[in-house]
Amino acid sequence: MKLSTFNLLNRTLSEQQFALITRFLFGTSLILIIALSYSYNEINQELINYSEKVSQTQEVISGLKEVSSALYETTYHANTFVFLKDTAYINKTLAAAKTIPLLTSRIDTLIKANPPQIKRLSALKKHAEGFGIYTEKLLKYGSTVNPAIVYALYKKKNAEIDSMVKLVADMNNVEDQLMHTRVRSRDNYMQQVFRYNWIIMLVAVVFLSSAFVLLDRELKRNKFYRVDLENKIENLNRSNSELEQFAYVASHDLQEPLRKIRSFSDRLISKYQQEVSDEVYQMLTKIDGSAQRMQHLINDLLSFSRIVKTGSESKLINLNTALADAKSNLSEMILENKASIHNESLPSIEGYGSQMVQLFQNLISNSIKYRKENQRPVIRITHRLVNGEIIPGIQPSHEDIQFHQIKINDNGIGFKKEFSEKIFIIFKRLHGRNEFAGTGIGLAICKRVVSNHNGYIFAESIEGEGANFYIYLPAESMLS
Amino acid sequence: MSNKLPILMADDDADDRFLVQAAFEDNDLSHPIIFFEDGEQLLDYLSTPELIPNLIFLDLNMPKRDGREVLKVLRNNNRWNNTPIIIFSTSNAPDDVNTSYALGANCYIVKPSSYEELKTLVWSIHRFWLQTSVAS
Repeated sequence: MKLSTFNLLNRTLSEQQFALITRFLFGTSLILIIALSYSYNEINQELINYSEKVSQTQEVISGLKEVSSALYETTYHANTFVFLKDTAYINKTLAAAKTIPLLTSRIDTLIKANPPQIKRLSALKKHAEGFGIYTEKLLKYGSTVNPAIVYALYKKKNAEIDSMVKLVADMNNVEDQLMHTRVRSRDNYMQQVFRYNWIIMLVAVVFLSSAFVLLDRELKRNKFYRVDLENKIENLNRSNSELEQFAYVASHDLQEPLRKIRSFSDRLISKYQQEVSDEVYQMLTKIDGSAQRMQHLINDLLSFSRIVKTGSESKLINLNTALADAKSNLSEMILENKASIHNESLPSIEGYGSQMVQLFQNLISNSIKYRKENQRPVIRITHRLVNGEIIPGIQPSHEDIQFHQIKINDNGIGFKKEFSEKIFIIFKRLHGRNEFAGTGIGLAICKRVVSNHNGYIFAESIEGEGANFYIYLPAESMLS
Repeated sequence: MSNKLPILMADDDADDRFLVQAAFEDNDLSHPIIFFEDGEQLLDYLSTPELIPNLIFLDLNMPKRDGREVLKVLRNNNRWNNTPIIIFSTSNAPDDVNTSYALGANCYIVKPSSYEELKTLVWSIHRFWLQTSVAS
């Protein structure tokens, strides 16, 4: 599965581009949604406002209608009284008349914001008052007085009614017009509300879809990487275990014939030493020597292959204990060479105890082995915390991590700067077999142990002036 | 009856048989050693009554019947229960060592890689196992 399968629009996005795009998307969508919601809110308010105003106008119109009704009712009852002379109609008239002021005052509150309407209403009230007075007079004198007076009263009363009817009509017109404009505004805002609804929804959908698409891509890509990683880990595990098997079997099967070579050449030497020439003896000795060396090499290879696999679970290891164990394993060597080892307190780390013991053991035994002639080896072990960035060649992802730096310094023969990396190679030595014993596996094992713990190891030296070995181990384990 | 009871050795490797024989000779020890190529031959030999070996060397990995099987058979039989058995093998795997002792071996020796070591080994075996058994 190639990464190209996951191109969007035939473009791949780098991590940086992806981060930028998601940030941009999120930022603009957020701003858009907030701005739109705010406007939406305002428009909603206006919609409510106009809806209220429309109701208001409707109430005024119906209020005016009620005033007209009351007016006609009063007049009807008054006229009936005058015509039929039935006193029952007096109360009816008065009752109807009483409602008119109530109705007009109700309209008061509804037209507060409209000065012309207010003027008309007060005119209406005045005419209503006049109407009321004439109606009362008609009721009082209706049946007894001179018809001429009744006629005059009627005329005046009707005049008031006419004025009132005209005012009501005017007010109605005004309210009607208002109603129309308000309804138009209300409908306009209603449309806008719908429009904003759609816009907000669209923005949200666009944002969510693009977020989804990008996320889906990333998830697919992550899955791809994860599967890839799992495959690689499986391959690695398999080849590690094959390597271990190979190393074990090879060394075991190689040891067999070696043992025979050594045993028989050894026997030849011990049994026939007197009977063979010096030359033969020398050659036999060389054969045995080589076989012996080969045994050591194979044993060392075996040790190295065991270190490659970490096997057991990692635990919290007190490095002081590991160092003490290493010193105790080397007690004979230390005593024989009168070596002195000074160490500061070392931290505890998550790791594999036996490997750390091996690490210290190899480094210390090297320091003692490569001592200056006639000088007691002095080894100093110090510790401090450092930041990852000072470590040469560190992985960029490790730069921010804290590391324990353990420095092992000796006063031995040192080595030339140009060999400071070579010495960690398996079986690589800087001295002949006759000068110093050993197969050259010690530092390779050290390097392997350190990398098993996700750390780093470096060597630094000036020929003739001792050597420094720097071990860096992560302060916080990445092993689990 | 000679007071030198035979030593029995079962090992499928001819060289190892030769070397052990040579080690005994070079130590001037004259115990009769009887060699077998596999466990089955050894067990067949022991089926003859009245045969009491002094000491048995057993290799672990042999065809037909291997060292572990022979060990089991011998320790289950009252006749051979007290005979010293030394496992003499190339393997230094802890599993093999533990199994051998669990099955009743008296001693587990990894075949030494030099002849001198073998000679010394044979001498100390003689001193402990053979002299004491002769004395009893």
